[in-house]
Amino acid sequence: MLAAAPVPSVFNGTAEVLAMVVLLATFAMFRTQLLRAQVKLYAVQSLFVSGLALAAAVTRGESELYVLAVVSAAVKVVAIPAVMRRLLDRIDGSLAGHEAFSVTTAVLVGIAVAAFGFFAVGALEVRTALLPRAALAIGVAVILESFLLMIARTDVPSQAIGFFSLENGVSIAGLVVATGMPLLLELLFLFDLLVAVVAFGVMMRTLHLRSATVSARGLERLRG
Amino acid sequence: MAWLIALVLALPAVAAVAAWARNDVAARVSGAVLGAATFACCVAAAMVVAGSGPAEVTRWLRVDELSVIFLLATGFLYMVSAMYSAGLLAHTSDDVYRRRLLSGLHLFALAMLAVPVVNEIALLWTAIEVTTVISALLVMLEDTEPALEAAWKYILIASAGLGIALLATILMYFAGTVAFGAHYQPYLDLLARHAGTYPPVVTELVLVLAVLGFGTKVGFFPVHTWLPDAHSEAATPVSALLSGSLLGVSFYAILRYYVIARAAIGPDVPRRTLLGFGIATLLLAALYLLRQGNIKRLLAYSSIEHMGILAIACGFGAPLALAGMLLQVLAHAAAKSTAFFGAGALTLRFGGRDLSLMRGGLSALPWSGSMFLMAVLALAAAPPFGIFRSEFQIVLGGLSAGSYGPVTVMVVLVTVAFFGLALHATRILLSPLPPGVGRAEASPWTLAAMACGVIALLVLGIHPPTDLALLLERAASHLGAR
Amino acid sequence: MVLSPAAIQALQVATVLFGAPLVQGVIARVEARLQGRRGPRVLQPYYDIAKLFSKETLWPDHATWVFLAAPVVAFCCYLIFPLLIPVLTTYGLPLGYIADIFGSGFVLALAAFAVALAAAESGAPYAQLGSSRAMTFAALGEPIFLFVVFAVALITATDLPYVEAATVRASVAQIVRPAHLLAAAAFFLLMLSDTGRIPVETHSGTLEFGMIDEARTLEHSGPLFALLKWGSAMKQLLLYTVFINVLVAPWGLASTGAPGDVVWAIVSLLGKAILLGCAVAVIDDSFAKLRLFKVAGFMAAGFLLAVLAVLVLFLGAG
Repeated sequence: MLAAAPVPSVFNGTAEVLAMVVLLATFAMFRTQLLRAQVKLYAVQSLFVSGLALAAAVTRGESELYVLAVVSAAVKVVAIPAVMRRLLDRIDGSLAGHEAFSVTTAVLVGIAVAAFGFFAVGALEVRTALLPRAALAIGVAVILESFLLMIARTDVPSQAIGFFSLENGVSIAGLVVATGMPLLLELLFLFDLLVAVVAFGVMMRTLHLRSATVSARGLERLRG
Repeated sequence: MAWLIALVLALPAVAAVAAWARNDVAARVSGAVLGAATFACCVAAAMVVAGSGPAEVTRWLRVDELSVIFLLATGFLYMVSAMYSAGLLAHTSDDVYRRRLLSGLHLFALAMLAVPVVNEIALLWTAIEVTTVISALLVMLEDTEPALEAAWKYILIASAGLGIALLATILMYFAGTVAFGAHYQPYLDLLARHAGTYPPVVTELVLVLAVLGFGTKVGFFPVHTWLPDAHSEAATPVSALLSGSLLGVSFYAILRYYVIARAAIGPDVPRRTLLGFGIATLLLAALYLLRQGNIKRLLAYSSIEHMGILAIACGFGAPLALAGMLLQVLAHAAAKSTAFFGAGALTLRFGGRDLSLMRGGLSALPWSGSMFLMAVLALAAAPPFGIFRSEFQIVLGGLSAGSYGPVTVMVVLVTVAFFGLALHATRILLSPLPPGVGRAEASPWTLAAMACGVIALLVLGIHPPTDLALLLERAASHLGAR
Repeated sequence: MVLSPAAIQALQVATVLFGAPLVQGVIARVEARLQGRRGPRVLQPYYDIAKLFSKETLWPDHATWVFLAAPVVAFCCYLIFPLLIPVLTTYGLPLGYIADIFGSGFVLALAAFAVALAAAESGAPYAQLGSSRAMTFAALGEPIFLFVVFAVALITATDLPYVEAATVRASVAQIVRPAHLLAAAAFFLLMLSDTGRIPVETHSGTLEFGMIDEARTLEHSGPLFALLKWGSAMKQLLLYTVFINVLVAPWGLASTGAPGDVVWAIVSLLGKAILLGCAVAVIDDSFAKLRLFKVAGFMAAGFLLAVLAVLVLFLGAG
C-alpha cells in the first residue's frame, strides 16, 4: 500500500511555495511577448527570492540574512528592472522574438527539463537544516528553465533577463545549501550581477545603434 | 612579499588611469612601462615563492607555487600586450577609442592578475566573471558587425557557463559546511586541506559543474563556440590576452577545484573527467585547424588545441605530465602572443585576415614574418621551443602513468594539428610575394613585443631557469601529491 | 433528531439539483453588475427552465433516439455525481465510496460524451463544430485531471475525495504545502475550461464561430433543452463543489446528521459556491478570450501546475 507523502512543516511548506512561485515566474517568461512584461516578471521573481531570504532570516534570526534580503531586493527588484526599463525606453521594438519554438512546446520541454532537475537533486543526498530540499530542486529547475529561455529567445533583452533569472535560481540554491555564506561574498555576487547588467546594456545599445533592432537573428555570420 | 602582490594589483590600475592622459605618447608609453614593471613584480614574486614557499598577504590573498606560474604567464602577456598596443595605437587619431582600448586592456589584465592571487572561492569566481565583462566590452569596442556578433556570443555563453560555475561555488561551500560548520570563510587552501571529510557525491557534482562552467571560458568542447569568434574579432592585443592568458587563468580555476576534488574523492573521477574533456577538445581543434581560412581563427583553434592538451595532461596525473602542463601554460602564453602579434602585422600588411590574401609574408615582413614563423612552429610543438619540451614531458608522463591509449590519441591529434598549422604557415610565409606589395616592417614596438615572446620560448625550450624548474616541480607535486 | 444517511444523501442530490440554477443566477447578476448593466433577476434560470419545459420538442429529420436520449443520460450523470463527493458531510455516506475520483471523473466524462454525441447526431454544422472542439479540449484536459489525481493520491495515499478533504482540514501545514496549492490551481484552470469560461470560451456570447460548449446544444429545444441547460448549471456547481469541498475550503460541512448542521452545510456550500462564482466572474471580466489555437497553451499551463505538484511530492517534501 502506498504511504502518504510526509507533510512538510508550515515553514517548509511556505518556503517551498515561495520558491515555486519563482519557478512559475520563470515559466511565465516563456509566455510573455512584451519585453516590459518580462522585466516585470523578473522583478516579481526577484521579490520572491528576497522573500525567501527574509524567511530564512526570520527563522535563523541572523542580522546578516536580513541585510542580504534587503540588499538583494534593492538590487534585483528595484535597480536592475529600472535599468532594464530605461534601456528598453530607447529601443523601438517592444516585442520579444521567439521563433525557436512555440509557447506550448517551450512549456512542455520546460516541464521535462524541470523534471530532470528534480530527479537529479533527488539523487543527491543533500540534507540541510534551514530550508527544505525541495527548494534546492526548485532552484536547480529555475536554472535549467533560464537556460531554456536563453535558447528559446532570439532577442538580447530576453536573453539578458534569462541570465538574471538564472542567477535567481542560483540564489535560491545558495539560500538552501549555503545560508551561512559570509555576507560579504553574497554582496559580491550581487555586485557582479550589476556588472553583468552593464555588459548586456552596452551590448543592447550597440546592437540597436547598428541595426535598429535588438534581435539577435542577424548575428549568425561567424562560423567554422 | 605583500608589497609585490600589492604592486602587481596596483600597477595595472594606475596604468588604466594613465591611459586617459591627454598626451597620447604618455598614455601609450606609461602603459608599456607599467606593464613591464608588473611583469618584473611577478617574476620577483615567483622568485620569493621559489625561495621560501607559499606566502600569504592577508587571508584573502595568497600565492603558492601553482598560482605563481599563472601569475608569470599573465604578467608576461600583459607586458607584451601593453608594448604592442603602444605601437598599434601610435597612428590612431580616434582618441576615444585609444583611451577605451588602453584602459580596458589594463583593467582586463588587472582582473586576470587577480585570479591567481585570490584565495577564496567566491572571489575567484568574481574575478573570472569580471574578466568576462571587461573582455566582452573590449571585443565590442571594435564596433564592426562581426565584432558585435562575437561579443554577443561571448557574453551569452560565458555568462551561462559562469552561472554553472557559480552553482559549483555554492555547492563547494555547502560541501565545506560538513567540516567547518555553517559559517566559515571558504579559503582555497583551507578547503583543500580538509577535503577528506566532504560528501563524495556533492564533491563530484562540484567538480563536474566547475569543469563545465569554468570550461566555458577555457574553451572546452562543447562549450567553446564563442572562442574563435571573440578571438578573431577583437583587437590584436586583446586577442593575445584572451588567448594566452584568459584561457590559462580560467584553467587555473578548474585546477583549484581539481585539487580539492582530488583530495576529497580520490584521483580517479577528476582525472577521467578532465581526460574526457581534453580529448574531445583536442579532437575538435585538430580537425578545425586543417580547414581554416582566417588567420586569427586559426590561432584561436590552436588555443583550443592547447587547452585540450592541458586537460589531458592533468588527466594523466603523473608528476612529470603535471610539470609539463604547467610549463605548457607558460610556453603557450609566450608563443600565442607572438603569433597573434605576427598575425596582426600580416593582417595590416595584406589588408585582411583571410589566409588566401596572404602570400610571401616572409619577404614582405622579414623580421616579424620570421618571428611569426617561429611562433607558429613553436605552437605546432617543434623543437627547440618551450612547447616541444612541455608536450614531450606530458607524453612521457602519460606513458609512465600507463595511459597508453590516451597518449596515442594525443600524439596522433597533435600531429594532425601540426600539419594544419604548418600547412597554413608555410603557404602564407614561404610563397613568393605577389607583385605590387612592397616590403615594410611593422613598428619597433611590435617587433620588441614579438622578440620578447621568442626569447621566452627559446629560454623555456632550451634551458628553463633552475628556480622555474623548481617551482614547476613543487607545483606539480602540489597537484598530484600521493 | 438525527437525519439518516440515506436522507442526507438524497439532500446532497437535491441541493445540487435545486441550488445550481440559483448559483448560476447570482453569478449572471454579478457579472452584469461588473459590466455596468442591471442584469437579469437572480431567479431567472428557474423561470427559463420552467418555460422551456412547457414548450414543444423539435428534432432534426434524420436524428435517431441518441439525440433524444442524450440530454436524459447527461442529466442522470449529474444526478449521480453528487452521491460520490462530499457535498454536505465530512464523513462518507453509504453510496459515497462506490466510486473514487476516477469513477466520478468517468461519470462526468460520460455526460460530456453523451452531449457531444447528440450534437454530432443533429447534423447541424455549428453543433458539430462545438462538439468536436469540446472533445479536443476535453482530451487536453484529461492529463491535467490525471496529474491532479496523482497529486491527491500521493498526499493521502488514497484516491477518495472524502479523505483528501479530511487531510486538508487536518492542519495548516497541509494547506500551505506547494503540492496541494499547485494541484488546486491546476484544478481551477481545468474548471474554468470545463465550465466554458474565459479565457477559453465566452459563455454568454451569441457568435457561433467562437463557441465551444454552448454550440453543442444549439439544435435542442423544449424540455430536452431545459434538461441540458439545467445539467450545465449542475455541472458548474458540481465542479465548484469539488474545488471547494475537496481541495480548497472543506469547512462548514456537517460532521453529524443533526438537521441544524445539515442546513448550515447547505447554506455554506451555496454561499461558498457563490463567492467562487464571483471570483470567476471577476476573472471573466478582466481577461480576454484566447484565440482558439492558444487554448492549448492554457491547457499546457494547467498541465505544468499539475506536473509540478507531483514532482515536488516526488522529492518527499512538498
